[in-house]
Amino acid sequence: MCKGLSLFLLLISFTVQAEQWPSEQWPTGPKVTDTEALESYAFPPRDDATRQGIRTDALLIIRDGQIIYERYAGPTREQTPHLTWSISKSLMATVLGVAYGEGLFKLEDPAVKFYPPLVKHPTIKIADLLHWASGIDWQEDYEYAPLKSSVVAMLYTRGHNDMAAFTADHGTYAEPGQAFRYSSGDSNLVAAALKNIVGPQRYPDYPWTALFEPLGIRHAVWETDANGTFVASSYAYLTARDLARVGLLMARDGRWNDRQLLPSDWVTFNLTPFKGYKAHQDEAVPGGQWWLNRPADGAAAPWPDAPSDTFAALGHWGQALYVIPSEKLVIVRYADDRDGSYRHNELLKRVLKAVRP
Amino acid sequence: MKRFLLLLLVTLLGWIGYERENLWAFPDIISAYTAKEYCSCRYVMNNDAEYCRGYVKQWLPTSDFSDDSASKTITVSGMGRSNSAQWQNERQGCRLHP
Repeated sequence: MCKGLSLFLLLISFTVQAEQWPSEQWPTGPKVTDTEALESYAFPPRDDATRQGIRTDALLIIRDGQIIYERYAGPTREQTPHLTWSISKSLMATVLGVAYGEGLFKLEDPAVKFYPPLVKHPTIKIADLLHWASGIDWQEDYEYAPLKSSVVAMLYTRGHNDMAAFTADHGTYAEPGQAFRYSSGDSNLVAAALKNIVGPQRYPDYPWTALFEPLGIRHAVWETDANGTFVASSYAYLTARDLARVGLLMARDGRWNDRQLLPSDWVTFNLTPFKGYKAHQDEAVPGGQWWLNRPADGAAAPWPDAPSDTFAALGHWGQALYVIPSEKLVIVRYADDRDGSYRHNELLKRVLKAVRP
Repeated sequence: MKRFLLLLLVTLLGWIGYERENLWAFPDIISAYTAKEYCSCRYVMNNDAEYCRGYVKQWLPTSDFSDDSASKTITVSGMGRSNSAQWQNERQGCRLHP
């Protein structure tokens, strides 16, 4: 009996060995050797005076749960919790997924059920917010139209004390759930709804207890507005190595070691293209707060040199978390690109070429 | 000609009336942006002060920049407005003052 048990345990430990997971540290795998083409694109000479060109702060490549490439530049180090900008939106969706797994809400629930100030927009569902399809008349453009920009007003002027209320106060331009319009406001309504989904007692610690701690993420920062609502649109900070943990969770269908942290149908929702998206409305195809490399509305996949199962969390100034399950790849790229010259497809193409034997 | 100018004036006043909230808030952008993003650059990402000054630099000028490292409070003026941001704690980082 005792012999049988120890044999069983031995077998289990072999199975666990076969799949690599980070514990306190990431395991390292065979290093990428031919990095020249990749580095000449990602790390050209850096000009901090003009801030022109591609300015990568961090590039981390994980294959099969192990670090195979890692480089930092500018002021960023392995320990730097880097601003993720709109990657925060995908992180909030992941936090929300844990609450979904607790059975605390349904995607078809009206958002007003959890965020009463949405009474002006009673038919918006949680799923609509996650698709950036609330129909709320929001203006995301900022660098070219700062006067009319809803997002600048939300972060810095009229909206910064209560970003969700500021969003809810906008008018309507479309029926909820019908049309895609990228909106940081929609993402902050998700963060406000979460407060009543998990309850105000658990809310301030929820991103840590639900997501960061189970993944072994020790140094996450998530800024709030004056109302205590997480700025889900913009203000989460993680080290590159910690962000890659979230990528690995998504690459493995919401499972972390032997625990199904996110229900599989939640991840499926995240990675299903939103039907109301029109070709070329954005730089990739929206799923549920994640960006997909999928053909949509008659247009080809946005990143032709990457596999069609590639998906990403993307942020302002070149922040990116790319996940390619079919290649067992997770790629974190932090940056301070100010001129828009960086191309996701070009980086992915060069990463894939570098890692293929 | 007079009529045209009158029409132009009425249109302009109408636009100012319509956009008054946006126009009134607009001058706060530069100082609020600088205070908040400098605070996070310095005290959340832990970059050095000189780098963070460059990081938040915009085409509009700011003045009276102060960083009180004891209270981790940044105060910045620009376009006739002043805004401050303060580091809160290890998890919640920085926030603009109301």
